[in-house]
Amino acid sequence: MRRILNIVRRDIKSGTRDWLVIYLAGAPILLALILKMLIPSVGDSTLNVAVYEDTPPAVVTYLETYAKVIKVDDLEERVLRMDDVFGVVIDDERIEIVTQGNEMEGTVDLLKTIIGRYDQRTIDLPVEVEFTDIGWVMSPMKIEGANLMIIFNTILGGMLILLNLVEEKMSNTISAINVTPTKRKEFIVGKGLLGFVLTLYGCAAVVIILGFEGINYAMLLVSVFAISFIGAIIGFSIGVTSDEPIAAIASMKIVFVPVLASIFGAIYLPTKWIFILYWSPFYWAYDVIKDILLVQATWGQVFMNSGIILVITALVFVGLRRRIQNGLS
Amino acid sequence: MIKVNGLYHSYSNDENYAVKNVEFEISKGEVFGFLGPSGAGKSTTQGVLTGLLPLQKGEVEVVGYNIRHPKREMFNKIGVSFEQSNVYGKLTALENLEFYRKLFDVETMNSMDLLKWVGLDHVANKKAGEFSKGMKHRLTFIRSMLNNPELWFLDEPTTGLDPAIASQIKDIVKEKNKQGATVFLTTHNMYVADELCHRVAFIIDGEIKLIDSPRNLKLQHGEKFVVVEHLENDVIKKEQLSLIIDRDKARLNEIISTGKIEIMHTKEATLEEIFIKVTGRGLK
Repeated sequence: MRRILNIVRRDIKSGTRDWLVIYLAGAPILLALILKMLIPSVGDSTLNVAVYEDTPPAVVTYLETYAKVIKVDDLEERVLRMDDVFGVVIDDERIEIVTQGNEMEGTVDLLKTIIGRYDQRTIDLPVEVEFTDIGWVMSPMKIEGANLMIIFNTILGGMLILLNLVEEKMSNTISAINVTPTKRKEFIVGKGLLGFVLTLYGCAAVVIILGFEGINYAMLLVSVFAISFIGAIIGFSIGVTSDEPIAAIASMKIVFVPVLASIFGAIYLPTKWIFILYWSPFYWAYDVIKDILLVQATWGQVFMNSGIILVITALVFVGLRRRIQNGLS
Repeated sequence: MIKVNGLYHSYSNDENYAVKNVEFEISKGEVFGFLGPSGAGKSTTQGVLTGLLPLQKGEVEVVGYNIRHPKREMFNKIGVSFEQSNVYGKLTALENLEFYRKLFDVETMNSMDLLKWVGLDHVANKKAGEFSKGMKHRLTFIRSMLNNPELWFLDEPTTGLDPAIASQIKDIVKEKNKQGATVFLTTHNMYVADELCHRVAFIIDGEIKLIDSPRNLKLQHGEKFVVVEHLENDVIKKEQLSLIIDRDKARLNEIISTGKIEIMHTKEATLEEIFIKVTGRGLK
């Protein structure tokens, strides 16, 4: 343990000398703050309605009570864009809702209710209906953004491991450590620990800044810990074979491809095609972290997804073991 | 301290051996020189002895540990100074030593004392990355002394150093040896080997050609000469005469009888000359 902490202390000292640790520690905070600024309020983001320019002002005013209303010339084109925008068309006193089909579940029912209430506004109801909560408590951008940042944090942790190893390779100091009583396991744990700490710290920063206070932190810790291994292994495998930091970072960037593919695949692929992402530990991480952030995850799901992540990570490790061992010699 | 039997090593894992059938033993308290040109197999042998290279074939015992299954505690007893300086450039000289000091399980030397020994105490808090090549080399050298090693591996300890610093390094090696340290010295510098070593091994093309003390080698393989500078017709003439060949001996008597000798001294064969004679190759 003494030697492990000595290695961690050295890495912190070395990392702070060229601001590396400071940059990597600051990155999640900065990104979370930017995302926080970009996330619209719940009321703004959950219901967006497009109407024609000539829509009666009374209808527009009524809809603006519950939704963000935009006037457009080409309503169909606006609805067909990627975001969640409904079209509302007034046709001979009838109101029609135009949907694209990819809108978030529940929002169309909400809009129907709102419009239905407008149609029946002249009927005296025995009770006064108030819309005080439209059902969506969180912006999709917040959920997906936070999830993406948490998973990217694991890659940042791997990158810290990688850069510290590249420093060792560049100065050939691994040989000097290999002629001390330091065990190989102590060196690996010492080199990896800071990467794990950085990942956990980054995730905590994202969760706190974006206001996910009600989530189960223990579930998040287990899931993030599991996915951190893949970042660490990739960091080790590239770090021990690179003696030039720019080339090492360039190699690490390749990892962004499966990360982004897994996350955007999970967001956009139809359910029947999701199975093509099962190979990716990042998909399983995305899947469970999303439910943790939505406070819908169960321990069974957390353990199952973390187990799958660890099995895939173990297979990756078996494939890269020889490369890592040779690099550390 | 070291026992090596039938050591072979191949970087390509085939019959293309970097060292072949290397055999030698080093006793406690001995300074053993491994002398050979670049690529002869010196560093490969040291790599295997220090566990940095795997033992492929042969038997090697170092400070009582079988190198085939080395234990990490073995490294509490040995120190290794590398030919190429390998220090953390972002850490200061003192931080470098303090980091390594904490990796050992045995009592270690004071880092500042070590820095003083090689004249680096005034730059103790300067980053090693800003050091000159010689300063980095000295830092690498003293790092290998941190654990007061019983067995000290020195790979080209004076290469690239100015004569004053090289002399200082040699004095430290002599002092540590006097205190009981066994030294395995790898070098292509015959003067360093001659000055420090009790015995030397000549290695070339991965094979040890001979092992003996520098004195014995000079007696067995060297030829004694006398270098004479004398006046002949008011012109200074320099001649090198053998003390073995009769014609040269007669010529020396002739010069002495004229009484016009300016300078005269004996000249022994150097280790390099003996190396060339034995191996047919130079040390560069």
